[in-house]
Amino acid sequence: MSQFQKEIVQAVLIADNNAWNFKPLSDEASTALLPLVNVSMLDYALIALNRSGVEEVFVYASLYLQDIRQHIKEGIATFASWSFKMTVHVIGGEGCRCFGDAMRDLDAKALIRGNFILLGADTVTNADLRPVLEQHKRTAKFDKGAAATLVFKESTSSTARTGNELLIAMDRQSTRLHYHQRLRMNHKEARYQIPLDVFLGNSSVTLHHNLLDPQIAIGSPSMLSLFSDNFDFQTRDDFVRGLLINEELLDSRIYVSLLPPAQYAHKVNNWLSYQLVSRDIISRWAYPLVPDMGVYKLQQQYVFYKDNIYKSHDANVSKVALQENVVIQAGSQVDAGTTISSSVVGANCRIGKNCQLNNVFLMANVTIHDNCQLRHCVIGPDAVINEKCVITAGCVLGAKCVLPANTKLSNTLVTSSQDTQRTEENEKIELDSIGPKAYIVSDVTTGDPDDSDGEEDLLPKATTLCIPKMSEIQAQANDASDYSYSSDDDDEDESRVATPLPDDTNIFLSEVIDSLTRGFREKSNPDFLILEINSSRYAYNMSLKEVNFNVVKAVFGMESILEPANNNVLVAINAAFKQLGPVVSNYIKSEDAMFDCLKALEDICEENELVREKISQVVHYLYDKDFISEDAIHAWYKQLDPKEQAPLRQSLAKLVDWLNQSSEEDDDDDDDDDDE
Amino acid sequence: MTSCEFQAVILAAGRGTRLPEVLGDAPKCLLPVGPYPLIWYPLNMLSRHNFTGKPINYKSTSMPENCLLFTEVIIVVLEQDKVEVQQALERTPLKVKIDYATIPNDSDFGTADSLRYIHDKIKSDFLVVSCDIVSNISLYPLINKFRSDDAALALVLFKSGFESDVVMPGPKTKHKPERDIIGVHPATQRLAFVFAASDCEDTLNLQHYLLKNRGQLDVYSRLTDAHIYVLKKWVIDYLHRKENISTFKGEFLPHLIKKQYYRRTPKAMPDTTSDLNVTTKHDDNILHYATHTVVDQKLTQASLFNQSLSHVPYHGDVIRCFAVQAPQDTIGVRINNTLSFLAINRKLAGIWSELCGETHSLIAPGAVVKSTQTKDIIVADNAKLSEKTSLNCSVFGSNSIVNPKNIVNNSIIMSNVVVEEGCNINNCIIGHRAHVKSGSVLNNCLIGPNYVVEEQTKSQSLHLSNDDQYMEIDIQ
Repeated sequence: MSQFQKEIVQAVLIADNNAWNFKPLSDEASTALLPLVNVSMLDYALIALNRSGVEEVFVYASLYLQDIRQHIKEGIATFASWSFKMTVHVIGGEGCRCFGDAMRDLDAKALIRGNFILLGADTVTNADLRPVLEQHKRTAKFDKGAAATLVFKESTSSTARTGNELLIAMDRQSTRLHYHQRLRMNHKEARYQIPLDVFLGNSSVTLHHNLLDPQIAIGSPSMLSLFSDNFDFQTRDDFVRGLLINEELLDSRIYVSLLPPAQYAHKVNNWLSYQLVSRDIISRWAYPLVPDMGVYKLQQQYVFYKDNIYKSHDANVSKVALQENVVIQAGSQVDAGTTISSSVVGANCRIGKNCQLNNVFLMANVTIHDNCQLRHCVIGPDAVINEKCVITAGCVLGAKCVLPANTKLSNTLVTSSQDTQRTEENEKIELDSIGPKAYIVSDVTTGDPDDSDGEEDLLPKATTLCIPKMSEIQAQANDASDYSYSSDDDDEDESRVATPLPDDTNIFLSEVIDSLTRGFREKSNPDFLILEINSSRYAYNMSLKEVNFNVVKAVFGMESILEPANNNVLVAINAAFKQLGPVVSNYIKSEDAMFDCLKALEDICEENELVREKISQVVHYLYDKDFISEDAIHAWYKQLDPKEQAPLRQSLAKLVDWLNQSSEEDDDDDDDDDDE
Repeated sequence: MTSCEFQAVILAAGRGTRLPEVLGDAPKCLLPVGPYPLIWYPLNMLSRHNFTGKPINYKSTSMPENCLLFTEVIIVVLEQDKVEVQQALERTPLKVKIDYATIPNDSDFGTADSLRYIHDKIKSDFLVVSCDIVSNISLYPLINKFRSDDAALALVLFKSGFESDVVMPGPKTKHKPERDIIGVHPATQRLAFVFAASDCEDTLNLQHYLLKNRGQLDVYSRLTDAHIYVLKKWVIDYLHRKENISTFKGEFLPHLIKKQYYRRTPKAMPDTTSDLNVTTKHDDNILHYATHTVVDQKLTQASLFNQSLSHVPYHGDVIRCFAVQAPQDTIGVRINNTLSFLAINRKLAGIWSELCGETHSLIAPGAVVKSTQTKDIIVADNAKLSEKTSLNCSVFGSNSIVNPKNIVNNSIIMSNVVVEEGCNINNCIIGHRAHVKSGSVLNNCLIGPNYVVEEQTKSQSLHLSNDDQYMEIDIQ
């Protein structure tokens, strides 16, 4: 029977993404139903699919399954624009915890019969996906292992990152994906590390750095079974990563399709992108998905004025300065003296006198009393803001919040009651209260991001401790460091070129230092250390003289002597020689070796100030411990240049005098032969 | 004639360390490639562009006016080789004026050192060509790119793999071709980086400024740098200053490419003044050499010229390096190892007319070819190829003698070689003055100079040589 059925275009829509990023509003309703310029995000996605000729859609929801089902039902009843020529099924359940679960469930239910379009409910796009689908079918004909075609959009603006930015490497001819890296938010990579095989294995690879991921993909039927086979795939990124790593093992490949420049696609994954996409919709980049085109409902809701002002006939806005990019829905009333710019006002809102609203997103039934200042914030449905409140910098007010008068908030999330916050253990969290119906939600500590259902966590947890919030959107200044390197880097580079390559002697020295440091710390057997040093010696072909010289240098080059505790270098030297004495005396045996040892000390003096100050004591110590002989000291002292090494000679003069005296005494002793 | 736009420099002082098997005692640039020494090929390539009129007999991509690119070629050779090279080139038909620049015999100069050594001979923008390039590439696209984008450097990339279907004779070695990873901005052909693949470990590190604001970057791993560079005059002055750089390709090129993104710090800005010649202080700063005055800056900013050097994607970079890709059907190979030497010699007869645009016979007039079964062979003067022989895709050097009843395939027979009767030689290189006695069967063998292959020798994949250095005769 089924083979006679005409192949229909199917799509899967994953709702309930990014719940954590949309706190606190996501605690009360599905994020898919969050209004974006007064139309819920789910509707944008459905319209996009409808425009691409999709005939059957499976909306996959988890936590708010009933709400979404209700919304779809209403949409069909009210003849929403997507409801024509397209059947929509809502499936899913609370058991589904992540994107991967949804895919596995779909595989188990065997609802998908062919290639399908995979979309997040939070994607806003006006792209026609039919050519992409055709491209995928062609690729799949050529390559049976084509599991998916990912759709990316080249971004031209250099605005702040929203977590959708990508760096990919793809084959220029076959558009096959070879490398995929999500650029982290609030992070500026100094360099990118891309496996060399990506380039060596392919004759020409294109690196794209300026891509946005709108979370659109064309999947082959094998994509679902790959999710079933690899139960550790949680997100789409896991899937991509897993396939790229185990390309041969899984025999599957991923391809890339870039949307043409004229088509718009963006994913709304946090409040920042919510702000960006709202702006784009209002300034008509997403045409025909613009407010006055009767998106969702096939009726004219707004009148479009210049400067991108959309005003409903039923809105009462008189003597109000609407500056630009403003949408005001039916039933709202704004009193005189208020200034509004770059904002969205939902249905039946009431805004008092002399308010200032800039980049404010009001949902339905919000009441704002007189003399409030709001900037860069989102106000949930039915919220009330009393007089003279100042709310700025990314604040989000949950549904039904009531802010007392004169409240000043910035960068905070507010919810109306304590119970909305769940934790893993279902414990109640004590929330700071700023009013009877306003509690501050800390976005830093509430729950684990993974805890939110069906959330597709795209960002590494360590860095996303707080929700990306709205802020002033400004084109990044053409910071010179963005595309050039400053002269500081350059100096570094110059010095790098200028420094000679480490020669064998230096390598040998550093190896000996390493050996001694470790030996000193671990108190290892001096014989082993000698063995180690000797093997290094043969590896770098050092002469005996060089070895003697460098071993002594190495002892003094150890960290414990370079940076001694309390700057007491003598104690440090004593400790070092107690442990490493046998090693040194193994090398410093002959008079020549002692001379080398002293030459090394001379070198050390130049480098180490602490030793320089105490040089006579150090030499005396070595003499005392029989590392060096008196004759060696004399010989060394004699050859010290009187001019250049005057300070050294000076500090040693006393010691040498003393040695002379004592040796005279010694001579006497020898004669007498009975003292001591 | 100093009014020429370019000077051309051919670097021919290489010692050919990667061609020990075939080099013998001759300098690298005189290796025999078909009828001519190696250095003739880059000279010929340059001379083809050296017209006052329209280039003839050439698939040209249009030369706009009748203009003179250059009249004179400077050849950089080792002092000891100068006479030899001079004599060799006098025997070839070339219509180029050649100026020889010599570098000391005992110097261990890298390519950048050589350029630095001759820097006072460079009076204008110049081309640098390696002596080992055999190609029919048209330089006009390269030169036009250099002109139109006011580039500091432009280079040519061609497809590698000319020698990929040729098997290296001699003992099996792991031949690992050197590969470059080259990043080019596709819209502008701007060169973003050149890395040697062997210099990278498992990952390629890309600085963010290479990608930022450029968005897209094409990365090629199967293209070869042709070692044909067009450079601005100031580059040699800068190179002259940078004394710690010794090789051009390995050190200076990456250095210069990196400097594209170099920005003068604002505090140093006043230095960009137009009194460039007044400041006698020799600054290490590269921007000191690139003549980009304040007036220039204003000009580029105000210019309606659609390359818009001051905006995206140039961002006002003063130093610009470009890479021009040769068309797909271009022949291009660098003779820098024995394998590519063998490959070019074997294939030369097949591609001769395409490569040089000449149709004259590859069998020298003084050669005696009595053989009737020949295909794609190149025969030098005084070679004697007897009757009853089958000779395919091979090169026969001067004074070589091939006696009857021989089969020679895919091989190079160097000068003064004697091949006695009844031999079968396949994919071999027979060195100068070697003697192959009768009945030998040689397959994939390298025969060193002066070596005598005894009668009835049957060898496969061996390196036979008198030279102790290369004693690698395995007894299997």
